[in-house]
Amino acid sequence: MKTEVGQRQDLAVDGLVPSTTMSPASVAAAAADLGRCYEEGLAVIPQGGRTQIGMGAVPHRYDVAFSTTGLSRLLEHEPADLTCRVEAGMRLGALQAVLHLHGQRLPLDPPHPEEATVGGLLAANTNGLGRGRHGTVRDWVIGVTVLYPVGNPARVARAGGKVVKNVAGYDLMKLHIGALGTLGVIAEVNFKVQTLPEASADMLAWFDTPAAALRCGHGLALGYLLPAAMAVLNREALGQCGVTAPRPWVLAARLEGYQAEVAAARDRVAAAAREAGGQVEEPAPMFWDAARGWPAAPAPAVVLRAATSLTGVPRLVDAIGTDASVMAQPGVGVVQVRPLPGMAEPVVNRLREALGPGGSVVVERAPAAEKASLDVWGPPPAGFALMRGLKASLDPRGVLNPGRFVGGI
Amino acid sequence: MEAAARTRLLDRLREVVGDRYTLADPYEIRLYQYDSSPETALPDLVVIPASAAEVAAVVKICAEEGCPLVSRAGATGLAGGTVPVFGGVVLAFSRMDRVLELDYENLRAVVEPGLVNLALSNATRPRGYYYVPDPSSQGASTIGGNVATNAGGPHTLLYGVTVNHVTGLELALPSGELVEVGGGRAAETTGYDLTGLVVGSEGTMAVVTKVWVKLTAVPPQSKTLMAIYPDVRSAGNAVSAVVGSGILPAAIEMMDNISIRAIEAAVHAGYPTDAGAVLLLEVDGLPDVVQQLTERMVAICRQHGATEVRVAKDEAERQALWRGRKGAFSAMGRISTDFYVMDGVVPRTRLPELLDQIERISQRSGYRIANVFHAGDGNVHPLVLFDAFQPGQYEEVLKIGDEILKLCADAGGSITGEHGIGLEKRENMRYIFSEDDLAVMDQVRRVFDPDRRMNPGKLFPTDGAEPPRIHAVRGQRAAARGSITGEEPWI
Repeated sequence: MKTEVGQRQDLAVDGLVPSTTMSPASVAAAAADLGRCYEEGLAVIPQGGRTQIGMGAVPHRYDVAFSTTGLSRLLEHEPADLTCRVEAGMRLGALQAVLHLHGQRLPLDPPHPEEATVGGLLAANTNGLGRGRHGTVRDWVIGVTVLYPVGNPARVARAGGKVVKNVAGYDLMKLHIGALGTLGVIAEVNFKVQTLPEASADMLAWFDTPAAALRCGHGLALGYLLPAAMAVLNREALGQCGVTAPRPWVLAARLEGYQAEVAAARDRVAAAAREAGGQVEEPAPMFWDAARGWPAAPAPAVVLRAATSLTGVPRLVDAIGTDASVMAQPGVGVVQVRPLPGMAEPVVNRLREALGPGGSVVVERAPAAEKASLDVWGPPPAGFALMRGLKASLDPRGVLNPGRFVGGI
Repeated sequence: MEAAARTRLLDRLREVVGDRYTLADPYEIRLYQYDSSPETALPDLVVIPASAAEVAAVVKICAEEGCPLVSRAGATGLAGGTVPVFGGVVLAFSRMDRVLELDYENLRAVVEPGLVNLALSNATRPRGYYYVPDPSSQGASTIGGNVATNAGGPHTLLYGVTVNHVTGLELALPSGELVEVGGGRAAETTGYDLTGLVVGSEGTMAVVTKVWVKLTAVPPQSKTLMAIYPDVRSAGNAVSAVVGSGILPAAIEMMDNISIRAIEAAVHAGYPTDAGAVLLLEVDGLPDVVQQLTERMVAICRQHGATEVRVAKDEAERQALWRGRKGAFSAMGRISTDFYVMDGVVPRTRLPELLDQIERISQRSGYRIANVFHAGDGNVHPLVLFDAFQPGQYEEVLKIGDEILKLCADAGGSITGEHGIGLEKRENMRYIFSEDDLAVMDQVRRVFDPDRRMNPGKLFPTDGAEPPRIHAVRGQRAAARGSITGEEPWI
């Protein structure tokens, strides 16, 4: 399948353009296409809505843009079972729309849900601000069908199943979540879903120092009425979310649950914020939409993502200084950072120095030219030899996303 | 294993863990041929290490000697997962049972794999936190065993299973190398999610030597109600109605009449012995919310044919209701000499149909089948009652088990919800997985363990090729007309 040059630019990854596109419309066709790539040793970059296509190191090679958007069907949804089965190219927004009709949702809230596909959601392990209470992608996936480039046609293999409780066989879902499409092409995903909460409420509390805002958020995270989402932003980040700040730091909280629960949580958050010196108010309605999309800033922004323990968050926020916009999740241990132009390298270095044992600092987005000097993934994690072994076994010719993942995988 | 090889292995293991904790005596190692399944097999040697470093040294020696290795702790497994069917070394974790760290500020605990599940929550409850997964065996099963099987329990309906609460592992790889995987205290780490992969792998990838788990704030209040029904079908409809109402109960459990009578005989939980079925429903949260939800659930249960609904009026009554449910399996001893526990899963909407089919199997075969199950998530535990002293019964019961699992698979479900595949359901894997599915799993396994020495003979179908040492103790008992026989241990 030949592609016009104009289209190829649209399919670029870190400036590299593919020579071929493939956009299969069935799992069998996808297996045939991927099988051909295996046979010819073509470098494949699987992609859906391309909302996270900037993740990862610069690919070593890029021959085939392998689009999953032709696989976009909802295959099953039995509302009473609270489960569904979808093709990987289905847009998250389209899935949510169907679920909402039945009073349900997938409680994952990544940037650009209208564009993002469920396959991409898994591959990039994109988690929104709601993970404190609802968990991450790995907590909602109950089965996958994956194409493995080990022959022609590619091997189609499933793991997990369609039921919410299942321990038969290896949990290979976990292997593909966050693997950035380096071990296989996700073709179908089975999810468990959730009943929509009865009520929700949003709050903001303004603070003079990050320490006070973070301490307040940490305290709320340790208690029973954990907000569904919590983020601490500095004035710069808040401005990028379209809110003018009366004070330099804010703690934003989204509360969800039964009516009475939300009412109680509201009182509790307000009391905790005031006690910590905060000034409480309701946010503008558009705030959370803007906050959701904030980490997916358009090029040429650099976006960093640091993961640490709950108690490690203030240290990281301190290390950033004033050279960046900051969105920290005090109930989770994640700090997302958009350094000011030209400041990416010093901010990355300071974060990596401040990071205790465990945890990580990843460059989620950056212009290709900057990626090399920033060391996108940081040092390979413990167990890296096993990871390399998994890659060699499941993608023996190295056709999937060569070079984009951790440690050059 | 040849005599010379065994002697050499024994000497080397003794150097690591000491004489006292290296068992070779036939009398002593015989205790390690069991778990809670009917099958048994003798190990060659048993070691009881005291630390991760000792485990790693033992694993390394086994690698050098090419010896199979099976880890075990509480031995509460129902699927034969820790029965050493290829002999070799059994690593027993009874000495590695410490809470290493309770880090409340980070909502984490770090524990050794031999720690009994309930001991962790008992340690943290005074501070207002608990470890959520609560398999019914939680008073005896260990965190390490829970990790191996990705154990569930009644409260996984709302809060998830073991893997949702484990954030990191220290592993002794089959080579003997120790590695820490996963974020541990941190929210996440880079690379593939090896923690999520190893949880539930039933000891076939590596030996777990340390576990990082999440601690969760204890809900201010939990309320349990019991709804009494004339039959299982009407109770099932009530479950669907509760779930469809938007209420998210923490647990929904069902027991049928046979189970109720056994439980009452054994633990006096206060269940009505003339009921066709009872439902236990639990909600937790703020007192006001709990009160409202309880009232709503009571109304729904009545609308759907409950003859009576009782709300536990205090913690003692609530605990009694749960003691009945969690003691259900062992209570079967009151009404049958033996029972065979199944662990199938179907989509919740297929439960009524499955229960009808099980009832027909019971009528056709003449075996009584009790049903105790996690109704909220479609996880059924049919208990087939039989008498192992009657020749042929055990074999017939196994066939009934296969038939029920096939029904679950055909309904879009699974052959195990929480007990694991182990030895028992190896061949049933083909009910739900294709050759290609299994091939990928084996590829993954061999990345960790190229020689398949870690817990060999488990999880994957062997197509009838019986492992060398397996025999069913109950089957043998029948064959011997009442006297338990065992192979002489290999010496």
